[in-house]
Amino acid sequence: MTIRKNQTASQISRRDALKLSLAAGVGLTMFGMSARVVMAEEGQVLKAINPAFDQDWSPLRGGGRTFRWNSFWWASPMYFDTEGKLQPYVFTSWESSDNKVWTFKIDPKAVFSDGSKITSADVKGSWEVASMPNTKSQRADQVLSKVQGYKEIGAGSGTELTGVATPDEGTVTVTLTQADPIFFMRLANHIIPVTKASQSRGSDGEEIADWYKPDNNAVYSGPFKLTSIDIDAGSLTFEPNENFFGPKPKLARIEISSIEDNVTATSLINSGEYNVHTELVTSTIIQDLGPEFSAGPIIPTSQHFWFNISRAPMNDAKVRQALIMAVDRDGLFKASYPDGPHKKADQILNSVPGADGSGFEPYPFDPEGAKKLLAQSSYGGPERLPKIMFVGISAPAIQAAAQFIAEQWRQNLGITAVDMKPQQDAYAGPDQNSVQIFRDDVGTRVPDAVSYLAGSIASTSSNAQNKLGGYKNDKVDSLLAEAATKAADDPQRVKLAQEAQKAFRDDWVFIPWYSQAMSRWATKEVKGMEKNLDWQVVAPWDISIDQA
Amino acid sequence: MFRYVLTRFAIWIPSVLVVMMAVYAMAFYGAGDPIKLIFLRAPGDVAYNPERIEAIRESAGLNKPFIEQFGLYIWNLLHGQFGNSLTSGRSVWAMVSAAAPVSFKLALCSITLTAVVAIPLGMIAALNQNSRLDYTILGSALFLWAIPAYVAGPLLMVGLIVFLPMIKVPYGWGGIFDVRILLPLIVLSFQPIALIVRQTRAAVIEVLSEDFVRTARAKGVPEIVVALRHILRPVLTPVVTQLGLVMITIVNGAIFVELVFGLPGLGRLTVQALTNSDYPVILAITLIGSFLVMVSNLLVDVLYPLLDPRANDARRSR
Repeated sequence: MTIRKNQTASQISRRDALKLSLAAGVGLTMFGMSARVVMAEEGQVLKAINPAFDQDWSPLRGGGRTFRWNSFWWASPMYFDTEGKLQPYVFTSWESSDNKVWTFKIDPKAVFSDGSKITSADVKGSWEVASMPNTKSQRADQVLSKVQGYKEIGAGSGTELTGVATPDEGTVTVTLTQADPIFFMRLANHIIPVTKASQSRGSDGEEIADWYKPDNNAVYSGPFKLTSIDIDAGSLTFEPNENFFGPKPKLARIEISSIEDNVTATSLINSGEYNVHTELVTSTIIQDLGPEFSAGPIIPTSQHFWFNISRAPMNDAKVRQALIMAVDRDGLFKASYPDGPHKKADQILNSVPGADGSGFEPYPFDPEGAKKLLAQSSYGGPERLPKIMFVGISAPAIQAAAQFIAEQWRQNLGITAVDMKPQQDAYAGPDQNSVQIFRDDVGTRVPDAVSYLAGSIASTSSNAQNKLGGYKNDKVDSLLAEAATKAADDPQRVKLAQEAQKAFRDDWVFIPWYSQAMSRWATKEVKGMEKNLDWQVVAPWDISIDQA
Repeated sequence: MFRYVLTRFAIWIPSVLVVMMAVYAMAFYGAGDPIKLIFLRAPGDVAYNPERIEAIRESAGLNKPFIEQFGLYIWNLLHGQFGNSLTSGRSVWAMVSAAAPVSFKLALCSITLTAVVAIPLGMIAALNQNSRLDYTILGSALFLWAIPAYVAGPLLMVGLIVFLPMIKVPYGWGGIFDVRILLPLIVLSFQPIALIVRQTRAAVIEVLSEDFVRTARAKGVPEIVVALRHILRPVLTPVVTQLGLVMITIVNGAIFVELVFGLPGLGRLTVQALTNSDYPVILAITLIGSFLVMVSNLLVDVLYPLLDPRANDARRSR
């Protein structure tokens, strides 16, 4: 506003008065909008960091970082609590007389966020769409591989799971291709959450693109609903689902932002701007954010260094034994995770029935014995050994562990030629055929010893075929095969698994490292952020922020 | 001029086709299988089933021969379809059109900042040749030149976090008028500024010895008028040429700057696509990058006659 020559400051023209009114109107509108924002910010807001600009938040992907948030907005059939106990959710009961045909009952109160009932057709449709190749579910296999019709639908030659029947809207009957006493446990996770099939699936059976976004009027089955998503900016907002059929959520809102850099993320959490992370792995996390941040229960997953027995010198059992006995595994654990949150491992099994008192005798630390064994081996000593190569040496803690092992071999056995590569399965360097040691994790998503060992030491497992170079021990295989036929609560099931692990021990094919903790990745003020063995936040409705 | 622009486009199209074919071949025959990577890069253990991966590859059309896949891609491109991302299934066009404005705004602001800061500094240095001021400007330019964006970005970021924790971490994108844009912009402009300062200084020094400058000064024309009217215009021709080339430096630098400062632009998208071997996205970015460089060079060529009429005469005489 300008003051003309013939006008004093106290005089205002009509035009200026109009301008002032307009400005005041705009100002008030803006203030009103801001006031609404303040209103919306009332209540407890969980501010979370996701470490990547993930382009796909479909809950049907069954893996990746986005999957870690599934339980916030989607309900699962059942779930395991932090103590590994099975809890009902969408399914309230499960039964089978022969472990081959299973009947599940849906909670009559179970509804989607629009109040419509969750029906057996929704369950069947969700499983079917997750099984189709185009959906690219990373772990549908883990849940549904034994269901009749999965093989065809997974191979792209079918659109229906023929083994899933829906006799009424509250009952799901599943027929398996073979008896599986722990099938009900396989469903207890958020890998394939229950979605409204008519929204997630098109007439051709394929997943509809972006069906889960609020713009498409998507409805949700979990305690929170997605209210905004900007995939390119990496931001999402969730608000409570008023129609959630479980307990009322305590949080007023959840905001997820994508921040790729770990240093920046750590700083933002330290400054209080954020209080949760999807997965923050740094070597100084305890020092930076305190022990509570990464604390959590030990889950049935463990990390080890696996020997490929088809490659020299690992094809000589005495060399393998010497290499294992020459490593002080207490020192190995201290070199990598001196402040936790993980736990030193002696065996493969952990956090499953039968892990304690399994009878597995830990490998001894015996440098002198190791030296003798190496001298007795076909190589006669360290001089004629080929160069030993590790892969999977990526994160700083892993590097520290691998370097510790190499140093132990140098000191105790005189081995100096050791090389390390970061890549794992995708390693494609010129000397890939010389790699003898793979660092990798193994585990199970169900609290079951047989499932754990079947995925790590049975000759049919990927671990045995690839990392262990075609490892096969008939005794191990037959014990596990027999164990798999026993009921989940049959003590023989655990006993046979323990025997299989003992038989595996005598082959000397791995250096045990640590059992993994399922970290909270939340500041100490955040309560109820506990996760189960499948990375599932157990009770998202119970999460609150202690502001005291 | 129109014919000239058309000729440039005609030359650009086959060269881009060759580049795209090479990029496609590298992605196709390289180590990274996009579908396998979805499974391998997932945190935690996944049920890795080779048969299922093969079924997914087949449904995505990745088991077809190279020529068939590339031909189909080009055919779709001619119909204005960039296809879908192999890893997320999103439309490549949607991904690129969301990321490109961020990078373009960043690049334009960087070019503007470079021109506004570097040209006057270069002129001041040249007009005070061999003085302390000249040495300071030139020395600073050399210092900045020696720090690439991928070093400056993390250093400044860590510096701000460790030594100045009271400053809000400049992370994320809030538009070009957001205060968080300042640091990435400065980092991105380091090298271009250094380059243009040196270029301007050298050009001004050359022009200073010209007869018309000496004549203007002899006539008593004020120094500021001499600088702006007589020196600046001929100097702008090589400087604008350099600014066009600087665009490539900015596009390259943007990859690191966008990663460090969490800007959702083409640079970040490029790294993401390369990591995932997501070749429809890689090809779309290659096409855009090539187009951008071609257009910036074309703009420089078009600007020549405006800045220096002799360039137009020379072109006509050819």
